[in-house]
Amino acid sequence: MSIFHNPEDSSKPYKEPTPLPDDVPKVKELGTTSAPLKSAAFFIGAHCKEYNEDFMLCKNENRDPAHCLKEGRRVTRCAQDMITKMRENCLQEWDKHWNCLELNNHEYYMCRKPERTLNKCMFEKLTIPGTPEGQTPIHEVKRPVFTGVQK
Amino acid sequence: MSQYRQDMPPPGGFEPVKYKRNIPLRGPSGVVILGGVTAVCAYGFYRLGKGNLEKRELKREATWSRIHLVPLLLAEGDRDAYRRQKAALEREKEIMKDVPDWEVGKSVYHNDKYRPTDPIVVL
Repeated sequence: MSIFHNPEDSSKPYKEPTPLPDDVPKVKELGTTSAPLKSAAFFIGAHCKEYNEDFMLCKNENRDPAHCLKEGRRVTRCAQDMITKMRENCLQEWDKHWNCLELNNHEYYMCRKPERTLNKCMFEKLTIPGTPEGQTPIHEVKRPVFTGVQK
Repeated sequence: MSQYRQDMPPPGGFEPVKYKRNIPLRGPSGVVILGGVTAVCAYGFYRLGKGNLEKRELKREATWSRIHLVPLLLAEGDRDAYRRQKAALEREKEIMKDVPDWEVGKSVYHNDKYRPTDPIVVL
């Protein structure tokens, strides 16, 4: 009998061995794990804004994966480019920041010190959109309420 | 005979015995105490409010970091989903190649909207 086995309940992951069909251009996948990505999120967002927006608009038309493969490749290439640049220029500071995030549940507020050195290294003015007028952005607040327990 | 020293009352006699109650009013009054409590509570609520505002900003930061990363992860997942879909279609073609009038990959719906397939894995 064909009982429905929910793949989420299986103990072994099901790996589909077939590779991508050859008519799809290959793109070098990002190898980063979640902490470096979270650390670099704002830089990637600033650098790849148009590609990201293009991809999301394409997705808005049709959720089919085949429809937005081209925009998706562009997004991945742009992010790959940004990550390569970050590795070349600011590897030490970036490593410090994402290792700090790894130790702190990926909370930004626990790792402001390495974040400041990373921002200085990247020479970028980050803003978090939507911060109320006149307030300093949260990553630049001098004496925050929430800090870690141990200084 | 008069070289004894007797235990006599002090010269001038004893003071009068104090029998009336003597509970003086001292310390902060009720108003002052309530004022102090209110002040401490007010300061506490002020700090709470500050903390809530900061929590809001932290949430904003976390959300924006996610927004910036979503297209990346979605694109990667899309490529994977596309690959799996194509493999599934190939398998279907292989299985149903001798069945007449079978259209591989035909949707059961008349609407053209994309519907993700629910994967069934026979374990």
